[in-house]
Amino acid sequence: MDTPLHDDTGALPGDFAIWIFIFAELLVFGVFFLAYAFARANNVELFNESQLQLDRISGAANTLVLITSSYFVVRAVAAIRDDDSRRCVHWLAAAIGMGSVFLVIKMFEFADKFSAGISLSTNTFFMFYLSLTFFHFMHVILGMVILAAVLLKARSGGYSAASHIGVETGASYWHMVDLVWLILFPLVYVIH
Amino acid sequence: MSTSRLIRPCTAVWLLLVILTGVTYLVGQAGLSGMAIVAFVLITTLFKSQMVVDHFMGLKRARPFWRGLLFGYLLIVCGMIGVAYYVGLTH
Repeated sequence: MDTPLHDDTGALPGDFAIWIFIFAELLVFGVFFLAYAFARANNVELFNESQLQLDRISGAANTLVLITSSYFVVRAVAAIRDDDSRRCVHWLAAAIGMGSVFLVIKMFEFADKFSAGISLSTNTFFMFYLSLTFFHFMHVILGMVILAAVLLKARSGGYSAASHIGVETGASYWHMVDLVWLILFPLVYVIH
Repeated sequence: MSTSRLIRPCTAVWLLLVILTGVTYLVGQAGLSGMAIVAFVLITTLFKSQMVVDHFMGLKRARPFWRGLLFGYLLIVCGMIGVAYYVGLTH
């Protein structure tokens, strides 16, 4: 069983309004990524040297954490489509838990950089690194708030197999947060 | 239980994403660089992202327009990152 996020009407999963938001967010992140990439093209040595100070293990670990949380959200949607609110709540809680792990790892990474005296004004690379990852960090928090709201409604029996558009809406946003990090990780931590 | 039900399709996708993330990480750890390596990393990223779009977001079953829109976005972003890397090499 691998229940899709929506029916076979060909419509986008969840509320269409969230997709306007998702497309807008993707556009902003896309511009941010390309600004980083072309700024790097003019400062290759600086970017390569600065990148050596990043903790690639943390970046990779956070990629795995977000992929896994997205997987948990897929399972939550599948559960509610099976009319199993209890299982849906458990998967959502697991996804939120993984989101918390992401935040903790990222906070350790930020703390490490700040304690090394690195700030937005250190150089162009760190200006991009800190602002891009912090911008994404805030989206993880927003995604967790959305998932928590969905979880609370699911726990009180607010969703069913016949009516669960809210679960799909929250899931779509969370997958977007994951999608953005899938590009951010190789761009900032790997490519040099 | 049939063989095809031993592992859920979404679990197989998750496993593939984990493996490809490991590959990307190892490329970074090995200190590999150059246009071919970056092309490999970006194509892997494009593939992983499309897997999320198709199988996690569920757009494989949505109208081709929506799936195409997101694929176009990913293609442009990954492609332009590749172009920027090439520009950096020629400077």
